[in-house]
Amino acid sequence: MMDATIHSRMEDLGDASYRVFMGGSGSPLVFFHGFEQHPGAASFLKRLAQGRTVLAPEHPGFGQSGGFTDLTDILDLILHYRTWLTPIVAEHGAVDLVGHSLGGMFAAEVAVACPDLVRRLVLVDAYGLWLDDHPMPDPFAIPQKAFDEAKWADPARAPRETNSFEGDAKHYIFYRSQNLGSASKFMWPIPDRGLARRLKHLRVPTLVLHGSDDGLVPPVYAEAWGAAIPGAEVKILRGAGHLPMVETEDAFLEALREFLD
Amino acid sequence: MKLHWFAEASYPDLPTNFRQTGESSWVTTPISRCDPAVVGDMTRMFIRLMQQADRQGFDGLAMNEHHQTPFALTPSPNLLASALANTTSRAAILIIGDSLALYNPPIRVAEEMAWIDCLSNGRLISGFVFGTPMDTLYCYGVSPVELRERFHEARDLIQRAWAADEPFAFNGKYTKLRYVNLWPRPVQKRPPVWVPGQGSVETWDLALKNDYCYGQLSFSGLHSAKPLVDAWWEHAAKSGYDTNPFQLAFTQLICCAETDAEAEAKYSEAVKYFYRNRYVHPGFETGPGYRTQKSVEAMGRFAAQTNEKLPPEEKARANRGEMDFWDYDKHGFIIAGSPERVRQRLEEMVKQLRVGQLIGCLHMGNLDEETASMNTHLLATKVQPFLRNLWNNYEDRWTPEAVRNAAPVQEAA
Repeated sequence: MMDATIHSRMEDLGDASYRVFMGGSGSPLVFFHGFEQHPGAASFLKRLAQGRTVLAPEHPGFGQSGGFTDLTDILDLILHYRTWLTPIVAEHGAVDLVGHSLGGMFAAEVAVACPDLVRRLVLVDAYGLWLDDHPMPDPFAIPQKAFDEAKWADPARAPRETNSFEGDAKHYIFYRSQNLGSASKFMWPIPDRGLARRLKHLRVPTLVLHGSDDGLVPPVYAEAWGAAIPGAEVKILRGAGHLPMVETEDAFLEALREFLD
Repeated sequence: MKLHWFAEASYPDLPTNFRQTGESSWVTTPISRCDPAVVGDMTRMFIRLMQQADRQGFDGLAMNEHHQTPFALTPSPNLLASALANTTSRAAILIIGDSLALYNPPIRVAEEMAWIDCLSNGRLISGFVFGTPMDTLYCYGVSPVELRERFHEARDLIQRAWAADEPFAFNGKYTKLRYVNLWPRPVQKRPPVWVPGQGSVETWDLALKNDYCYGQLSFSGLHSAKPLVDAWWEHAAKSGYDTNPFQLAFTQLICCAETDAEAEAKYSEAVKYFYRNRYVHPGFETGPGYRTQKSVEAMGRFAAQTNEKLPPEEKARANRGEMDFWDYDKHGFIIAGSPERVRQRLEEMVKQLRVGQLIGCLHMGNLDEETASMNTHLLATKVQPFLRNLWNNYEDRWTPEAVRNAAPVQEAA
């Protein structure tokens, strides 16, 4: 089957506008991106869109999305996505929600607070928990080389990663800094905003997908997610780091299909 | 011109190979390197030196706030200020300053400043600082995108608390207090406020609009500072403000001895120790969103101008502690030599930059007390008398009245 195309558009919501990447047709699958950036028209999104309507919003304060100054805490973020999802769910029914990295934290929060909006939940190398015995590295401060080694099973695969940056290359640094600044709202100094207390309320069928070689969120966290979420299924993807959808794209998509279809 | 006494309270006993270990000198420096007895000794030394500076006629005694670093062991400047407020009588207590976002609730800053102003009979200067990324983002865990907002909210609360005649409610985004009713009030109706900056237009406007003294506080001297300071004065003039030299504070390492040769012999190692041991792991030097795009771009422009007079490789050498003593002097990192040479060089520098508040760093690195005391004595007796009347035709609104009105010290040379 041919890959579907992914395009983006700006959508007004409240008094700010947000960028949403979308493509395909069929029942909606929503993807929440991670703490570094939105992946843009990434290969895995195109392939997901072969049988589904893929909707991948850029979080408030990231890339071209506004609305960051209205956020004070995680509740504001949950309400933002509740407002955005409500008309989609009204038209198509509850969505499958896939959240990666920081987007995993957001997806879990939305699924806890708005179970009516989410059919199935997938958490991919998600931030949001903290284990005192297994402190994660500080992604904002570790040296670049250590960061690359933690992020990738094989750092040579880094060029495969895509992003949503458009414009003059010399401004990329500001795009990145703005993204990480926005992420810091929910990850600084420790990426825990109380989700561990709330996961007991989660009633949505959940798959925890995790790269075996993720050094940013070590796989011990996959077990912790699995233990904290009633009935969750845990699957480790061999040979992937923090971005299984990039490093082991086929296995990642296969695991999603198996769980969602 | 006002002359203030200052030192970074540096831990003096780091091994000579500390830099080579690659350890960061901030945030994560191993505590096994710190002997509490040494900290007690050095702190008592700094208090003695500052008491001497007060007796000999310095206009202010300056202290700052840093965390988790051997570079400056002053986690709470208010504690040092308090020790000095009680044992000095003449100089301003120049707290430069409290990192407002790190005090929660920040009413604590208003209280402690007011209390120190009472204890010192109205000699307090209150510095409001954002704080370095190392101190604020990493040691105290404030999100870089919240730091500025927290700072401004705290600033608003503190100033209102100083001024209010009756209890009021403060409903901020970060601080909520139902009853703000400060006991005591400061002696000065509104203590002078100083804010340090690094060349961002936002901070310049903050200082100008609120009549704060602006501090260009770096340790890189004239060549690095000139483009920034010129731009500050240009911005002030363009924005319709007086270019009053007393509204600018500037830090300068000073190494004074009877002769130039003696200065090199006595200060060279301490200067190198000071620069060499200031290595910060690059990951702690900033955080995403700590600086606005506007200020990053402005800093880039200033850096380009600075590079013309001080090439980056020279600056890097200076910061590794590898520069020749007189090259440090040539580029303005330090002003060194006999009292006559120091006087001339200081005068030339403060005139070029229009500095009304000179913060002299009279102790650096692992300097011994005897030399620092000599430095203090020579500055007070052989340098300050020639610079005191500079800018006399301007009004100094940024030094406490009690300090401005203090009788000059009559000290035998």
